[in-house]
Formats: sequence, C-alpha cells, structure tokens
Amino acid sequence: MTVYETDVPGVGRKFEYEVDGDDRLVVLIHHDGKREVFRRRSAEADSEKLFELDDRQAREFGTLLEGAYFQPVDLDTVQVPLGDGIIQWHDVGSGSPVVGRSLSDCGVRRRTGASVLAVQRGDETVANPPADFDLDAGDVIVALGTRDEQQTLADLVAD
Amino acid sequence: MAEVLVELGIAFTALAVAGALAARADQSVIPAYILAGVVVGPYPPRSLGPLDLTLVSDLEVLEVGAELGVVFLLFFLGLEFSPDRLLARPTRLLGVGATDFLVNFGVGLGLAALFGFPWLTAAFFASIVYISSSAVVTKSLVDRGWIADPESDVILGTLVFEDLLIAVVLAVLTAVALGGGGVGAVVASVGTAAAFLSALAAVAAYGTPYVQRLLSVEADELFLLFAVGLTTLVAGEALALGVSEAVAAFFVGIAFGQTDHTHRLEDVVGPTRDLFAAVFFFSIGLGTDVTAFLDVGALLAVAVVATSASKLASGVLGGRFYGLNRRRSLRVGVGLVPRGEFSLVIASLAAGAGTRIPRADELVSFTVGYVLAMSVLGTVAMQYVDALTAFRGGAD
Repeated sequence: MTVYETDVPGVGRKFEYEVDGDDRLVVLIHHDGKREVFRRRSAEADSEKLFELDDRQAREFGTLLEGAYFQPVDLDTVQVPLGDGIIQWHDVGSGSPVVGRSLSDCGVRRRTGASVLAVQRGDETVANPPADFDLDAGDVIVALGTRDEQQTLADLVAD
Repeated sequence: MAEVLVELGIAFTALAVAGALAARADQSVIPAYILAGVVVGPYPPRSLGPLDLTLVSDLEVLEVGAELGVVFLLFFLGLEFSPDRLLARPTRLLGVGATDFLVNFGVGLGLAALFGFPWLTAAFFASIVYISSSAVVTKSLVDRGWIADPESDVILGTLVFEDLLIAVVLAVLTAVALGGGGVGAVVASVGTAAAFLSALAAVAAYGTPYVQRLLSVEADELFLLFAVGLTTLVAGEALALGVSEAVAAFFVGIAFGQTDHTHRLEDVVGPTRDLFAAVFFFSIGLGTDVTAFLDVGALLAVAVVATSASKLASGVLGGRFYGLNRRRSLRVGVGLVPRGEFSLVIASLAAGAGTRIPRADELVSFTVGYVLAMSVLGTVAMQYVDALTAFRGGAD
C-alpha cells in the first residue's frame, strides 16, 4: 500500500492512495474536517470528484469501509490463532478401526496428544465428549493439536 | 455615536450583500468588497437617479479596522506558511519561485519604466503586479477540483515562495519608505527593521515551547484575546519603530504556526480575520475614485495584458520544470494569474507613506482597477482553460 501525503497550505492535507498503478484515490481533508474524495484514473487524467462528507459522516462511513460491521469471510484462508495448534475435522469411515470403541479405549488422547473438542454426529454436535463416548461410523471428530498430532490422529482413524 | 453606528451598519450590510452577490456569480469576494466600498463611499458614483449613494464617510474606525485587516491577513499568511513545504524540494521550488519572480517582477519594472515612474514607485509597482492572491487562487483550486491534481502542488509551492519573498520585499520597501530622506536614514531604518524582524524570527525558530505555553488556555474567548492581543501589540510596536507591521504580523503568524495550536487559531481567529479583511477591502473601495481609472487607463490596459501573459509564461515554465505535461503546465500559468489582497496591501502601504513615494495616488487607483480586473479575469480564465483542456483518462 502506497500513500502520498502532502500539506495544502490554507486548505488542509491531501492523501493519494494508489489503487492500481497510476489509478489513484485522492482524499482532501480540509481544516474544518470536510473530506473530499476524488479519483484520478491515470497520471494524465483530471481528477473526478466522487463525493464529499463532513467530519462526522466521514468517520462513520470510514468504519463501514474498514469492515467494522461486516467482514466477508474467505473460508480458504481462515486461520484460528492458537499458537502451534490447529483445529481439524476427521471423518470416521465405516471401515475405521475406531468404530464402536470409546475415546479412551482407542487412546486418542494418549496415543496422539490431540484433544477432542467435539464429535459431530449427523445434525448434532457433542461438545467435550466424555472419555467413555463411543465413536460410530460417519462421525466427525473435531480435534485440536499440532500438525504432527493431527497427522497421528488422522492415521489412527483412517480406514 | 448614532451616526457612526448607522454608517458602520451600512458598511457591513453593503459588504454582506456584495459578498452574497459574488458568491452567487461564482466570483471571488475581494473585488465585490471593494466595489461595495466604491458604491457607498464619498467618491463617484454618488447617486443612483434620485437615490443618494454617499452613505459612508471615511470613518476613523474603519481605518483602524482596515489596518487590523492587513495585520490579520499577513498573520494568517504566516500561520499557514509551511517551512517544510519550502524545504521538501528546495531546488525545484527555488527554480520555479525564482522564475516566477524574475519574469513577473521584471515585467513590472519594465512597465513602470515605460510609464515614467521613479524608481521607488517602480519597485512598489513591480511588487503589486508580481504577487498572486493566495486567497483567490486557493479558493479557485478547491472549487475547480484542481486541488487533487499535481498542478496544484506547483501552484501552491509557488505561492509559498511568493509569500516569503513578499515579506522580504514589504520589509525593505517599508523601511525605505518610512526611513525618510538621505541614504543614512534609509540604512538606519533598514537596519532597525532587520534587527526587529530577526528577533521575531528567532522567537519563531526557537521560542516554540514558550509560545505554546502562552496559548495553552482552556476558554476560546481567552485564546482569541491572547492571539489577537499579542499579534496587534507586536505589529504596533513594529510600526512605532518604522518596521512593516504587516511583516511583523507575518512572523508572529509563523511563530504561532510552529505550535500545535494552528487549527484552533484558524477556527477561533479566522472569523476575526474575515471581518477585518472585509473592512480593509471596503475602505480601499471607499477611497477609490472611479473617474481616476481613466487617468491610469492606458497603464491598466497594458499591465493587465502584459502581466497575464508573463504569469502564464512563467507558470508554464515552472510546470515544465516540475515535469508536468503541457496541459497541466498551462493550468499552473492560469492558476497564478489572479491578484488580490497582497497587491492591495502593498498599495495601501505606498499610500500610507504619503509624499515620500512620488505618484502614490496614481499607484493606488491603478492597483484597485488592476485587482478588480485580474481577480475576475483569473477566475474566468480558470473556467475557460478547463473547457479548453478537459481530459478524462482511463476507459469508461
């Protein structure tokens, strides 16, 4: 992101925001708080004035642009910051060795180090399942652990 | 007292009406304020049919107001003066500013010589035609939307240079004009001016923490009184010593501008400046005899054409210097055409110095006509050049 800032004597300050190459948005902030927003499509073009807002409106509108009220979520890049830990979903196939056994019985925690946060069965989610919870084919285990722990767990439940 | 109040009331009402008309016509208020003074003042036009138009005499209170107008115009010039801007690209700005000065001041001197003005009057004349109007130009830039484009950087940069130079020119001219007779007196008075202004400059450069503390008051009214009081006091002391009160106010403005009270000063003291500046333009109009325009008609006509051309030329050169294309450079030239408040300040200084400046009356009538012509011409030229060079880039 490149922003060019200049002082405009007697008027206020001017900011130019590089959108793409020569295409720039120009924001003029007057001393009285008025904002004027222009767009200059190329270095040669004249700036077109897009709109102007007073100080209060500009701040409110600015929070909209900032995404304070609504942020679209890109599921591919969702990252839950948990240090080294990541959350993964493991499908229990019908041929999996863990089908019919309880969590403690197949030693998910002991052998992999991952914690089971929940088990999803159909439309239901059992949060914090107890140690004697029996796994079934079609379950989805939601587990928290490091990449290695998740890999071990994935191997354990694999068909 | 009643008479004075009524006349003052008429004066302010005339200013308000003139300003409203100017705003409606998309023109600068400065010529409108002058014309308001011309219409209701003691000189022709004296009547409109049976209607007597000589409503306001040259009141002493208006003269004081006008003087304060000059002080606050220059105070704000200092307040808005940004040394950083001057130092950001010194070589470029120096090139543009020097070109602007040499071409236009030179043309001014040439014209004055052509019309047989003595050298001191010629120096005043050259300053009057050299200095653009910060107020008119900046407002036009914002109104036309050029402010967002690169040409405005060059135009405003040139104005910053002009502002600084005009402070120097005013200081020297005042010292010479008020210094009276011989060479010795002139040297002494230039020395006094230099010493006084150096002291002010030192305060501006190194006294920021003290100025900052001085202005740190909670209530706006106290803040206003402090700012107005200090500025007026320093300006008055300067004048008592034979130093330009306007330049002293300019330095006070710079000193205040170094603090972080700048915005508050603009908000709180701005209306005071507007009021007194309007009175200043009005009183210029009051003292203007339109029939005197005829005496300086030839000079006016020649000067309007020659100095428009020279500003255009130096502006285009300056724009090219900044690497702008032809269209943008042309705009720089057009943008620097309007003349206004500072030309009038210089003229009123010449008038104030009285007999020491030969043909000062002529100079004042010329300046009023010149500013009226140039401020209107400049704003119209800006609109016209837009139509001439309109260009929309990008694929729509």
